[in-house]
Amino acid sequence: MNALRPLLTACLLLTLSGLYAQTRALYNYQELSHLYYEKQRDSLKKVWVCPTIYKDKATQKKYKEFWDDRTGFITEAIAHDNYIHEKEVAGYIEDIINQLTQANKSLLPVRPFLLIDRSPSVNAYSTGQNVIAVNLGLISFAQTREELALVIAHELSHNILEHTDNAMKQKAEWLSSDEYKQSLNAVLDSKYERLSRLKKVLEGYSFSRGRHQRYHESEADSLAIVLLKKSNIPFNAAYFLRLDSSDIQYRQPLKNPVKNYFTAYQLPFEDAWTKQRSKGLSTRAYNFKDTTSIADSLKTHPDCVDRYARTRNRTTPNAKYTPIPASIRDKATKMLIWNMYYNMSLTPCLYRILLEKDKGNTDEWYDFMVNNIFAALYYSDRELHRFNAIGVTPKEYISQNYFELQTMFLQIPRENLEQYCKTFQNEAFWKDMTPAEKALKNLMYTLALDPDNSDKNKARAAKEFKANNSASMYCEFADDFEKK
Amino acid sequence: MKKLLVALLLFLTVTQYAQAQTKVFKEVGEEISSQVKAIVQDNALVGYLVFTQLEKASEDSFNYKITIMDENLNDIGAINFREQKLILQGVSLEQDVLCLAYLKSNVYGNEFQTKKKVRAAIIDPKDFVFTQFLSLNGKILNTNSIKVEIKYTVDPFGRKNIWTADGKLQHNIQIKNIPGRGFACFYGDERKNNLVIFNPDGRLGWQRPIKEDAKAFGLMSSGQDVYLLMKQKDKMLEGGYELLGFNIKDTAVYPKYVLKDKQGNSLKVITFANDPVTGKPYISGTILNPRKTNDYETGKQLTKGTYLGVFTVSLESHKKGGFIENYSYWADGAAAGISKKGLFMEDGTYGRYDLSFKDYQGNTYFIGSGVHKQVKWGAIISSVLTAPFIIPPMILLGLGTQKCKVKDAVLLKQGPKGALALEGTIPADKTHFVPAKVLLDAYDNRVYYNVTNADTKSDYVVMGDIKNFVIYNVTQKKVQRTIPHKDGNIFTTIFPAKEGHVMVSEYNKKERYTRVSIEAL
Repeated sequence: MNALRPLLTACLLLTLSGLYAQTRALYNYQELSHLYYEKQRDSLKKVWVCPTIYKDKATQKKYKEFWDDRTGFITEAIAHDNYIHEKEVAGYIEDIINQLTQANKSLLPVRPFLLIDRSPSVNAYSTGQNVIAVNLGLISFAQTREELALVIAHELSHNILEHTDNAMKQKAEWLSSDEYKQSLNAVLDSKYERLSRLKKVLEGYSFSRGRHQRYHESEADSLAIVLLKKSNIPFNAAYFLRLDSSDIQYRQPLKNPVKNYFTAYQLPFEDAWTKQRSKGLSTRAYNFKDTTSIADSLKTHPDCVDRYARTRNRTTPNAKYTPIPASIRDKATKMLIWNMYYNMSLTPCLYRILLEKDKGNTDEWYDFMVNNIFAALYYSDRELHRFNAIGVTPKEYISQNYFELQTMFLQIPRENLEQYCKTFQNEAFWKDMTPAEKALKNLMYTLALDPDNSDKNKARAAKEFKANNSASMYCEFADDFEKK
Repeated sequence: MKKLLVALLLFLTVTQYAQAQTKVFKEVGEEISSQVKAIVQDNALVGYLVFTQLEKASEDSFNYKITIMDENLNDIGAINFREQKLILQGVSLEQDVLCLAYLKSNVYGNEFQTKKKVRAAIIDPKDFVFTQFLSLNGKILNTNSIKVEIKYTVDPFGRKNIWTADGKLQHNIQIKNIPGRGFACFYGDERKNNLVIFNPDGRLGWQRPIKEDAKAFGLMSSGQDVYLLMKQKDKMLEGGYELLGFNIKDTAVYPKYVLKDKQGNSLKVITFANDPVTGKPYISGTILNPRKTNDYETGKQLTKGTYLGVFTVSLESHKKGGFIENYSYWADGAAAGISKKGLFMEDGTYGRYDLSFKDYQGNTYFIGSGVHKQVKWGAIISSVLTAPFIIPPMILLGLGTQKCKVKDAVLLKQGPKGALALEGTIPADKTHFVPAKVLLDAYDNRVYYNVTNADTKSDYVVMGDIKNFVIYNVTQKKVQRTIPHKDGNIFTTIFPAKEGHVMVSEYNKKERYTRVSIEAL
């Protein structure tokens, strides 16, 4: 019996993992912001009333415009499902925020309102009025709890220091100032170079605002370190350097040639698909002034190297860092991949999946997503939108592998694309997919492969999907076709 | 009352401040104007260029910006410069050097405050063909100015503070790249027509005045040769073409080639392009019936045998017999299924050819709308019955006894040895019957162009019809896609793009945005 125990345990584990695979869901449709934050959205509109702080009517009017724009920005973003409230991920971030607020009660008397933004960019932002948003891209990118805590503390500091509110005031004051009006009149009065003069007026303001903002960023960095120290969260200045590398994800090479990722699915592959045949300028050796970096006047944040240098001596010595739990990072990565897919950014979406595979991730959900990507590409081709679904990026911004993948998406013949879709329909991974994922397979079949390409047929399939999977996260995808 | 006045004044002051910003942006914005041009090399689209006049920089100069985009519409860079008034007329690329040809003028395109100032300016205008050579790293490598003469008159319809002059070049500037050699530029002014050759770095190579006084010129380059296809000012509205050729290497002038068939019938040129297989030039079009030469504008005239057949002339070499002439006639009754007047028996239509091209198998295709003619039996019978009343039959037969309508587009194939065959038809929107005396242009407004894919050696015809764009795969003889112009709030237009692709532009009227995408065929 003892000898059988490991075997039985293994069998039980296998059964359980199968069960888990059958029932797992990243999140529910109802956790999308337009449903989850419906009440908050309505109350924001009512509660956020612009205070009267200026006697001058023009200034107050401008201030109200900016105030209302901010409210509009958040409420619109909620309505458009830019945010998600997935319990586990949101709970993890809330936990960090709780630790910071409890240790800094004088500065943070009220718990901030947290929003998890579905954007893949490595970022977080504060909007003032005690609201902060943390992007899924940041949660997926960060390696330790402390790294996340630093960014969150930085954004909380902006709120504490009222940077957003003050910026709105300054902007309103400037736009209603005599100085601004005189500069505009001077533009109108001038006979020549009116555009250059107008640009100077606006750039002068942006530059001074940018400098202010960079000063604000340093201020927020300093306060963030204070918040962290009081909360007993170690600070490491090297995080600034790591965050600096966040925008080069698509410049990272893959571990294997592009071909290998497809032949692994027994799909036919021709190297010629990845070699650009165009005679166009994209293949030429152009070299205009580097456009990949932002002009100094437009930078809002100081360079990360400066931030590192400025705060290096405040790094907590001999600190122990807590890795972000794999389940949190995994969920965040999957959620952002799904969001990229939903937004039809197919090349970056697949590239991220391939990067995950390079990390040794064998989760079959990613195979399911590869299937979805090819089905969407074929569907887009049918609708004459393939180019937009690929999102062609110039070669100077991406790795050679990314360029090859993008070129393959552009050049793979329609017939092969169809073959890819059909092959994926019969892949082994489907047996472990959830009922909702299997139902999505049927919907994708209707969209991409069904000979009946009518909107009516697509709406019918979408409606059927929603009726049987009303809680599934994939309902938002079906929504678009049901509405058509 | 006083309160009301104060309130009104306050309101006006506030709105004035609010409008100040809008007014500045509006006025400055109105000064900005842009031209978009395709960048072409070896007759293929390789990118796009946006030439923007930003602002007036001084009394006689402007600030300009050139934005260069690749064939996928991604920005690859921009160049700013200051110059006199420029009107961009041609763009080409060779050895990674962009050549832009402008008309530079202190009169043309300029606005003057008074009529007197225009009069003064047109006495001694300063007009130039201005060429600018840009590298793909954002540098202006070279510029050239060639003085030209334009006759101006004062535009009598000036507005307050805006007076302009009327006048233009006799022949607008054309520019083509010459592989490995540079650029050929052609223009015509009051004194002469001129062909100018530039080196790839923008240095002037040679120039040659063109003595022929033609109605129109078409510039083409092929290998080391440059050609000028001339439409002579003769009595034939559609014929009278001649070809001049020059060798760039040794500046040799080839003998003039007059486009006539062996019987002396004049030829109407539809296409002058390079063969997709040999890269050598060819000319294709229709053979004109000398007795019906100018009868092509109405359905009735077209169906009376305006054209005798089709032709393809391949310019293989400049040695004797180097021009391979391929004439195919239906007028001699030898073409199966086609009447002597060009009627496709099975289809009951006459071809109104708008497009022709050579495929990868050496065939030439001729594509155009199929015009169907029918006798107005109803009108004839009614007029007979109402004959005693005089007026009704005059009304009934006033526009003739025949009517026409435009049916599906027809594809006529001319084989390498001259065999003619109706290769197929492209399903199209049919028009209503129109009296045969009505001009064809009034009811046949289809647009045709071809797209070729060198990799798959496939040819496509894109037809812009009334309701749809139809993409027809000539190689597979089937309609590949039918795209409605209007689908709900979305208005779609299809433009030519890089090789093997089309540009799909979708304007969403409701949400007011335009989405552009480059799609493979």
